[in-house]
Amino acid sequence: MDVLVLGGGLAGASAISTLRAEGFDGRITLLGEEPVPPYERPPLSKEYLRGEQDEPTWVRPETWYAEQGVELRLGARAERVEPAERAVVLEDGERLAYDGLLIATGVRNRRLGVPGEDLEGVLDLRTLADADRLRAAARSASRAVVVGAGFIGCEVAASFRRMGLEVTVVELFETALFRVLGPELGRVIEAMHRDHGVDFVFGESVARFEGSGHLEAVVTERGRRLEGDLAVVGVGTVPQAPAGVADATGAVPVGPDLAAEPEGVWAAGDVALHDHPIFGRIRVEHYDNAIKMGETVARNLLGAGEVFDDPHWFWSDQYDSQLQMAGFATSWDEMVIRGSLQERSFAAFLLQDGVLRATVTLDRKLDARRSLPLIRAQARPDPALLADPEVDLRTLRGASG
Amino acid sequence: MSEWVKVADAGEIPVGEMVSFTVGNRTVAVANVDGDLQAFDDVCTHNGCSLSEGELDGTIVECPCHGGRFDVITGEVVAGPPSEPVDVFEVVEADGEIRIRTRNDD
Repeated sequence: MDVLVLGGGLAGASAISTLRAEGFDGRITLLGEEPVPPYERPPLSKEYLRGEQDEPTWVRPETWYAEQGVELRLGARAERVEPAERAVVLEDGERLAYDGLLIATGVRNRRLGVPGEDLEGVLDLRTLADADRLRAAARSASRAVVVGAGFIGCEVAASFRRMGLEVTVVELFETALFRVLGPELGRVIEAMHRDHGVDFVFGESVARFEGSGHLEAVVTERGRRLEGDLAVVGVGTVPQAPAGVADATGAVPVGPDLAAEPEGVWAAGDVALHDHPIFGRIRVEHYDNAIKMGETVARNLLGAGEVFDDPHWFWSDQYDSQLQMAGFATSWDEMVIRGSLQERSFAAFLLQDGVLRATVTLDRKLDARRSLPLIRAQARPDPALLADPEVDLRTLRGASG
Repeated sequence: MSEWVKVADAGEIPVGEMVSFTVGNRTVAVANVDGDLQAFDDVCTHNGCSLSEGELDGTIVECPCHGGRFDVITGEVVAGPPSEPVDVFEVVEADGEIRIRTRNDD
């Protein structure tokens, strides 16, 4: 069997590691668009951006790929997949045949599409090359405007403050991390940033970037002019699967076992639009998911037939605090708090019709991880027990399921 | 090799639990795995979080910060972000005491 992996990120790297660990000795080729082997993206908005870490965190040492008989083709991009022919066509016309194909091409950053976005000093962050540009720019900048108060925006804002930059964040919604956390929890994160000296402009979008050659100001739709010599745009992403396997949004729809419709095609990580057994159709752009989906695809390529039912979990490090979220919820009809929002040490349990769907923690790390079995079991925990800090979540009914 | 150091009285660490001790200039976690004590560096090799504040599942300790998993017997990385193993140390229960010996040559 010849396995071809499209995408040189964490999901692809995790899949090939697992294939070899499971004893697969067939041919493996990994195609990566970036000129470097797979690396970890979380430090790019934090330690690497701040210059506390010189080298990127490689997923595997560079020599590992040759040792494991993995052919790395870097700087290469698949233009389309021809599933009926079991072939991938590269941009230069070269055709690669496969028996098993993993699409792990991830996402690209959405652009605002407003005037001045190409000015020097207007940057975004996804790749190592982006991070190199951003950290070089941040070293000589004094006033940054961050567009978007999502995870990238919040983490970059926190890093910039630590680097001594003045920071203003412009966000279309009413508070930080609004779309993931909702207004009440979002405001806790907002307050934490304000305490660290971040200014916010909410309910506004960017109309244009101004400057002669280099950025001088960001102007909002309502005409507010925010001076700055560096802007970072973090306003969401667009999945980037190759033609032939992509849906209209650019994602790859996959079943519960991560198999796409064409025979022999699988998807993992940010690009996979997964039919999750608990949450329904979701696409998740987080670290742990990329690793775990890659592992599952590897085992399923070898015939395991596993359903991917991981309840999802991620973290976000900002200043000296850590946000964690277990599960998945875009809406909920009840929120139970353990600890204190005011003191920024809490677990927020998000329930829908009495079922625990997700847990958000700020500096109460274990409660997020300990919620995972409850979320997987679709448990209906007693809100009074959830709210009681003395109750170990592992003792609740459903926790062992 | 350094000396054996008493860190606790025997029986102070319940089965399935971990406790952290300062031994010289190191922070050492001792886990009770089904009655057997295992000692390891209480500093995750990924980002420096305290492993003893995480979860112990059999012989696997999971870092509370980013989910790195180590085997507490060998120190090897089992899953997650860390790329380097944690150091493991000798630990004994004798004469009513739990004693640890850390290497001072590393």
